[in-house]
Amino acid sequence: MTKITTENYVSEARKAIKNQVLQRALADLQNRFGRATAECYRRLPEGPGLRLKAHEIRMQTVENLDVVLETLAVNIRKNGGQVFFAEDGQAAVNYCLEVAQRHKVRRVVKGKSMVSEEIGLNDALIDSGIDVSETDLGEYIIQLAGETPSHIIAPAIHKTRDDVGSLFADKLDVPYETDPPRLTWIARKALREKFLAADMGTSGCNMACAETGHITTVSNEGNIRMSTTLPRVHIAIMGMERVAARLEDHDMLLRLLCRGAAAQNLATYVSYIGGPRSAHQTDGPQEFHLVVLDNGRSRILADEQFREMLCCIRCAACLNVCPVYAKIGGHSYGYAYSGPVGAVVTPLLVGINRAKDLCLGETLCGACQDICPVNINLPRMLLALRTKLAEGDTAWGVTPADRKEKFLFQAWSWMIRNRGLYDVAGKLAVMGQKILTQKDGMIRRLPPPMHGWTKARDIRPLAAQSFISRWKKGIK
Amino acid sequence: MSTANQEEFINRIKMALGKPFAESRPKTDLFSREMSAETRAILARIKNRSAEDRKKLLETLIEAAGPIHLTVRTCVDINAVTAAIAEVVRDKDPEWGDKKRVVAWQHPLIEGLNLPDALSEQGVPVFFTDLQKTDEESLRQGIIDSYIGITSADFCMADTATLVMRTRPGQARSVSLVPAIHIAVVELNRIIADLKELYALLKWDPQESKDGVTNCMTFISGPSKTADIEATMVHGAHGPREVHVFVLTTEY
Repeated sequence: MTKITTENYVSEARKAIKNQVLQRALADLQNRFGRATAECYRRLPEGPGLRLKAHEIRMQTVENLDVVLETLAVNIRKNGGQVFFAEDGQAAVNYCLEVAQRHKVRRVVKGKSMVSEEIGLNDALIDSGIDVSETDLGEYIIQLAGETPSHIIAPAIHKTRDDVGSLFADKLDVPYETDPPRLTWIARKALREKFLAADMGTSGCNMACAETGHITTVSNEGNIRMSTTLPRVHIAIMGMERVAARLEDHDMLLRLLCRGAAAQNLATYVSYIGGPRSAHQTDGPQEFHLVVLDNGRSRILADEQFREMLCCIRCAACLNVCPVYAKIGGHSYGYAYSGPVGAVVTPLLVGINRAKDLCLGETLCGACQDICPVNINLPRMLLALRTKLAEGDTAWGVTPADRKEKFLFQAWSWMIRNRGLYDVAGKLAVMGQKILTQKDGMIRRLPPPMHGWTKARDIRPLAAQSFISRWKKGIK
Repeated sequence: MSTANQEEFINRIKMALGKPFAESRPKTDLFSREMSAETRAILARIKNRSAEDRKKLLETLIEAAGPIHLTVRTCVDINAVTAAIAEVVRDKDPEWGDKKRVVAWQHPLIEGLNLPDALSEQGVPVFFTDLQKTDEESLRQGIIDSYIGITSADFCMADTATLVMRTRPGQARSVSLVPAIHIAVVELNRIIADLKELYALLKWDPQESKDGVTNCMTFISGPSKTADIEATMVHGAHGPREVHVFVLTTEY
């Protein structure tokens, strides 16, 4: 299973903020993609309103997921493909291992897929003695460096050209280079060997089509086409929600996905794969397997507050506008999914208490919803998660995160409902704050238990006279 | 594989949705069983396209091709296409090794180009991905050893400058993928406007829906690219570094 390090959110975030290289890369990423995506939506012939229509279609599919998935399975089997329904990550991994063993697979090439990060497929394959090669350039760099991706679609955004140059020189035995086209060519050459030698290819699925019985894969590099065309066996793994009912639905979904992901009208490659090659076809895999993964998604589906999260098409647009992601980067989120999508989906998948900092860390500014190609109300769900953390929740097994905070808010709520008490407390605070106020008129540090407020910001002192007392004196 | 876990899986979804296990219909009609008025209009539009409309589509295609580094060239007849291909073969060097070799689809339009004769002047061999003439292993090796792959395409979407290719015997998928340069020869009447038109044709057009999506349909919009190192755009990540579309403007 993949490592979950959501507990280190705060310490990882601190590290990231101090990392100047990462800060520059993140700022650059957001300047480019965040704005360009918004501009792309404006240029849609249907206008940005298409996102609302897409939300409707996604929600309709999610609410009929049983029928849609059964239809998909029937149609893929009709085309000669095999479909496996995996309850959790372990079941999915076991199935992939079985297929690999049956075909005596020694070398696997992997197309980028977040869901395989989620279930830790790489480690499992490597543990059973199989050579696994990431093939997306960013993922390949990360794999050589022994790290994890820090962005859903730009996994190596935290690496500079110098980093990549030394890494390639060290691991691939090539002269040190820093020119991105040269570095890309070095990887192209190394990976071409891998593609040609591989016995099995794995991929994710961007959006399946139930009525025709196909998965789709979307990429710019062509690595997924290579991984799904050249080896004998292809296994695709999809989160159970990544499916559309009708072929027509793909029109708006693909267009929005590519705009959200990289401000493109359409990615370089989109492939519809509906089974193994048929008799007389010249190439393509001899076997095609689709693994449909639940791994906690049915629990999200069952809760109407969070069901909307299953509309997500994992484009990563929200990462490119989030002010929190912009500062702390992807690794702080401690799981396959980072940014606003990670802040909601990770607590729901790995445990709300365990990943509580992720949803507490966001600002609720709403930029993620505005840029979301399917208009998912992420801020609403962040608040719903916080409510569960404040009050506890038996269905999700949440224990209240901080009883001290709850007690303070209860005391506050009691006080503000009592006029006389409130006024007295206000006057006391005005007197007390005098010793705290600095020369510039700001308060740098509050005493416990309020010291948390001033850890990362200065606050203004209260006014010497309250508004109500000025009003009474006739000052308007 | 057993379907027992499938039933359990689907039942878990039904439970989450508050549906009885025995219920197998969707809550709303998800799948279109009849052609909508909108689709009918789209199909009529495609069918009644005038020469003028087609020219406009070609212009849109050329405009969309620029930013994605796709080269589009129009050719008035089949000889012009052959000449254009010969020119690319002459001008470009192989990426791996030093021997020039060209691989092409077994396809009436491509075979009609007479490439083996035309390229023999330059001493460049052409071979077709025909399983009846070669075994699978040497066919695969032939594609790997070629630096230019020549295909046609089922459609070309003008809006996004996208080639649409469905898999068929004799038309290997890797011809448009493994060689460093991909050339696609397309007739003018295969240019359509956008994804909407494509899906309408694949699903509802009596002729096109016979094959439907097939077991592998690929969209290609320009050469392979990546921006994974410091967000710098580089063409030629894993797939072809160059893609040329030659549009044949007359019927052959």
